[in-house]
Amino acid sequence: MSDAPKPDSRTLERFRAVVLPHLDSAYGFARWLTRDPVAAQDLAQESLLRALRYFHAFRGEEARPWLLRIVRNTWTDTRVGKGADALPLEMADERPADTPDPEQSVLAGDRRRHVAAALAVLPEDVREVLVLREIEDLSYKQIASVLDLPIGTVMSRLARAREKMAAQLRGRLGRSEHGLPDL
Amino acid sequence: MDCPTCEASVDAYVDGELSARESAAFEQALTACPECRERLATARAIGGLLRDLPVERTTDLLRARLERDLRASVDAPEPRARPAARPWARWSAMAASLIVAVGIGWVGGTFTSREGRDSNEAIASYLRVAMAEAPVEVASSDRHTVKPWFAGRIDYSPPVHDLTAEGFPLVGGRLDVVSGRKVSVLVYRRNQHRIVLSLWPAGAGGNVAPSVTQRDGFALAEWRHAGFDMRAVSDISPNEMSSFATAVNRAVDVER
Repeated sequence: MSDAPKPDSRTLERFRAVVLPHLDSAYGFARWLTRDPVAAQDLAQESLLRALRYFHAFRGEEARPWLLRIVRNTWTDTRVGKGADALPLEMADERPADTPDPEQSVLAGDRRRHVAAALAVLPEDVREVLVLREIEDLSYKQIASVLDLPIGTVMSRLARAREKMAAQLRGRLGRSEHGLPDL
Repeated sequence: MDCPTCEASVDAYVDGELSARESAAFEQALTACPECRERLATARAIGGLLRDLPVERTTDLLRARLERDLRASVDAPEPRARPAARPWARWSAMAASLIVAVGIGWVGGTFTSREGRDSNEAIASYLRVAMAEAPVEVASSDRHTVKPWFAGRIDYSPPVHDLTAEGFPLVGGRLDVVSGRKVSVLVYRRNQHRIVLSLWPAGAGGNVAPSVTQRDGFALAEWRHAGFDMRAVSDISPNEMSSFATAVNRAVDVER
């Protein structure tokens, strides 16, 4: 992108108005991609700076999927040659030592921790599609543009993601906490 | 609609991706298909649990760092057509640092322990370096330049070492005020991250091994070594922070 024009202050002003409101989304997505708060900050920052450099090519499409796509691509690029799964998996360590007692009610905070841990251990291809759908609330079409996939693939990945997530939740939470139907 | 057909529609239905007509057909097929009703209930329960997760908010530090870098990446000065933008830009810069200060203050309100106040102070000290146009008052990787600079500015002589060989090059030094007392601050670098090390003569004897904690994306280390109380803050990982503290101690020991 060395041929890209250097942004001027007017571009920056427009960037602030159009893209910066989605910083929380970018950071949230980065948290789930990296599974590490420090790495997520770096990824979000790098992505936003990259977004500013690419902003001249922004044609008024929806800004949030546009930005999330840059986060995703930046993440893919930073991992090239870095060893993909060498990153810490801190959220997954919060798994309880014992299978929880189904009769025992866990506090909402505790349940959230288990849900977060269940999501964190999912393979990346299904984790990202679940985050974009359920947490970022994107449509299939928007997800397809973020991940650069056909819509049919988005659909089949989501089905697979929900199956895997259900299995994780059943292993971590009692029936009364996950609210899933019995198998 | 047979089961494979309705099974294939469960996700699209729950995600609101079916047309009104397709939805109606699916709902009708559901009445005859208990398996797909279960799939639907599962998908809805998962959605409910995930939407209930706390939203990950951007930290003040990230906003502050981003603000600094966005501004640095802009080429031209403010356009002449909008002279009013200038004071605003300056005000927004000040506002950004105020937001950080307020954020820290608020976190401070939730901690009552001495440790909590100390780490807030440490983070505030880090932010003064991270946000500053000139992060150090004496910029040099040469300890023979940095160490004498403190003479006459504070009433003790801190150990100063360049740790480039360990992956932490010395950036320089500055003064800061911690608990009302002037202390020496050494600034190091780890890749693009800065590490702020504050040190002052120890209030008690003996060495205390570094204890590394993590808060709001910062790694904090506190320890006592060779007669100095040391405190380091950075936005690096806790592991790197441990290596940093070890490197500092080793350099101090070699000199003695």
